[in-house]
Amino acid sequence: MASSATELGGLSDQEVVLRARSGREAAYRELIRRYERPVFALLFRMVRDRELAEDLSQETFVKALNAIDSYRPEFKFSSWIFKIANNAAIDHLRRRELDTLSLDGSPHAETPEAMQATALQIGARQESPLDTVEAKELGSAIEAAIGSLRPEYRSCILLRHVEGRAYEEIAEILNLPLGTVKTYIHRARNELRVSLAHLKE
Amino acid sequence: MSSSPESHLSSEQIDAWLGGSPDAVTQNHVSQCQLCQEQLRADQEIAELIAGLPLWSPTSGFADRVMASVRVPDPFAFRSLEATRRRMLATPKSMAFAASVGLLLLGSMIASITWTLGHQATIASFGSWVVAQSGQAMWLGVRGIALNIIEQPWYAWVSGFVGNPGRLALFSALVSLAYLGGLLTLRRLLAIPTQRVAHAGF
Repeated sequence: MASSATELGGLSDQEVVLRARSGREAAYRELIRRYERPVFALLFRMVRDRELAEDLSQETFVKALNAIDSYRPEFKFSSWIFKIANNAAIDHLRRRELDTLSLDGSPHAETPEAMQATALQIGARQESPLDTVEAKELGSAIEAAIGSLRPEYRSCILLRHVEGRAYEEIAEILNLPLGTVKTYIHRARNELRVSLAHLKE
Repeated sequence: MSSSPESHLSSEQIDAWLGGSPDAVTQNHVSQCQLCQEQLRADQEIAELIAGLPLWSPTSGFADRVMASVRVPDPFAFRSLEATRRRMLATPKSMAFAASVGLLLLGSMIASITWTLGHQATIASFGSWVVAQSGQAMWLGVRGIALNIIEQPWYAWVSGFVGNPGRLALFSALVSLAYLGGLLTLRRLLAIPTQRVAHAGF
């Protein structure tokens, strides 16, 4: 299994998709390995609920992998899966009003254990408890500021600055004209600058 | 998008700056404009703050949960009709090709049925000739094999051995046992291993 993963690790997304189409389970797992974190991160920041983001990520991958035959290799696989993920998030946001962001656990958790279980697992960037608190506060402020943006602005700014996607790719993922994507990103940055102005002080 | 009086730089120029590829006009303007310098610094900070956010991971076992709902095609099975149909209808070119093949098959079938109906006597006589020829060839083959066996040096010994009913029964029992043993060994060799084999590669 390890040798298979190593072999697949050196292939392009399109080549891995070809192997998945021919029925290799390892190729499906390789696609999940490559995109589970970016897809989950995008969905979490879109819906701001860990459990829900995980459900939507699962739904995204199941939908994409079961329809792998309909993927057209002339397009980027990343664009395709982000498009499915973004549609899942937008569909959900249209159906439900969002709650405020909680880094301490899902707002839907009913017990302290459930809150703990759904709390976000922040990477080990911090070195001391003080750093941890400061980074968590800063992270909370940025996450909250991103969460307060309109969903369309949110998708654009996350795809641009977290995922590092080109404007053309963002336009393709979101089915928006290129000019609209540029405007949304510009406006999103302006709104974030205003929201985060207090951090400078 | 044109430059606005408030920002001086267009959003494209700001993006080009943030992307590290500003043109000469932008660079020249920024070097002289305090307002744009501040705006670019602020935008740069925002971009860096967002890019520096942690990458969240789903809980462990995520891939297994996804794979439990994914239908992996059987690599040894023939392409499913659904996949073939989707591929045939993918582009106008593939649709035209599929239609041509379909028309060709239909035409061949119609031609074949028409010819058959008009030449029933020919087909019947050809059938009789094939049956007679194959019967003759089969008889010659059996006769050749029998003659070949009779001419072997061990034939007389085998014939004498199985001529006794007791020895014939013993011989049959031994052959049956050997056949059964062979079947059991083959079944064991072809059985799917119950545990995953580490070096199997999948």
